[in-house]
Amino acid sequence: MNRISRSFSATATAVGGCLLAVVLTVGVDLKAMAASLEFPPVVEPASTEHHVGKVIWVDLLTPDLAAAKQFYGGLFGWTFNDFPSAGARYAVALLDGRPVGGLLQPAAPPGRDRQPAWLTFIAVSDVDAAQRAALAHGAKVLFGPASVERRGRQAVFADPEGAVFAVLASSSGDPPDFMAAPGEWIWSALLVRDPAADASFYKALFGYEVIEAPSEDGLAHLILSSDEYARASANALPSESARRHPHWLNFVRVVDAADAAAKAVSLGGRVLVEPHVDRHGGRVAVVADPAGAPFGLMEWSDSDSKEAAK
Amino acid sequence: MSPRARRAGLSALGLLLLTGLSSCALTWGGYDGDVGLAFGGGYYQPYGYDYGGWGPGYHVGPGRGGPVRGGGPGNFRAASRQAPSIPNGSRGGSRGRR
Repeated sequence: MNRISRSFSATATAVGGCLLAVVLTVGVDLKAMAASLEFPPVVEPASTEHHVGKVIWVDLLTPDLAAAKQFYGGLFGWTFNDFPSAGARYAVALLDGRPVGGLLQPAAPPGRDRQPAWLTFIAVSDVDAAQRAALAHGAKVLFGPASVERRGRQAVFADPEGAVFAVLASSSGDPPDFMAAPGEWIWSALLVRDPAADASFYKALFGYEVIEAPSEDGLAHLILSSDEYARASANALPSESARRHPHWLNFVRVVDAADAAAKAVSLGGRVLVEPHVDRHGGRVAVVADPAGAPFGLMEWSDSDSKEAAK
Repeated sequence: MSPRARRAGLSALGLLLLTGLSSCALTWGGYDGDVGLAFGGGYYQPYGYDYGGWGPGYHVGPGRGGPVRGGGPGNFRAASRQAPSIPNGSRGGSRGRR
């Protein structure tokens, strides 16, 4: 009995020691990871501006950060700043030194189908209040709310139709309103089955004013507005589109959508929606990057702005 | 401390560590098992859907701030004035037309 007891004791001691070592190691690693997770502020230097309902950030979730850098750098002239992180790779895309978004290669488990996509971050003043409102109006919480050092507090939701978006209370303020330069994000569109119902959800969440825009195609086209600026549109997916999922899509301003789409193809991307004239008079196209993440290209000429300002 | 008490203490410590480690394994990983603990950078869009294949009806642009049509599909604003435009002021300059 004594021998058994001694043996058990020795084993327990060894196991305990090993576990202690493992836990200490994991603990140190977690601490190191938390310390090494560094994301840039949305606005630098920080400001006190806030624009609830404005799309203030986008993050690309991609399986190949290096390939994404090559593609977007070649297409828009973006440059990249790498940010140290553990378990994932993250870079901030810059245009003329100004941040235009983030690129993240998550450390995803292998063997699972993933849809690379640009995640749309919409400004809120209180993420937790936004979560309560979102849940009360039929959304699902996919992540958070969680605080991210230097960036703010954020959460990821799926709206009542399943379109995925994020909310962010930026701790450095929101970017000011100005006309996007070519290579910057200029517009965001929500494509859903019932734009009116879904727009009501976003109205409840962000206090949008929802305006019905003229439509010659018979499909609903609603403008979501805050601060008296158009922030996004809510549009109907074609009824016959069984394989289309409600989603947000962001558009980069380009000088020539056809040229940009052709360049995207030459860089390994695909054209999803051919360049065509949209309601603002400029052309738009939808393309996918080499990993399959969709995004839009939108022309907006100076004359468009001057015309609008009249 | 007697040897028996010391052995019991060590065993208890092992059990405690095992419990702690299990708890750590269950809670660590965040969304999709990556650094989601702090960032939430998992893949969120469902896979296998089509984002293209549209005909000429793909009109999602902002418009130019022209007049809007009345009687929206719900309790939305009717056409009493111009629809809002996207921000069009210059960077660092005056606020653009609303």
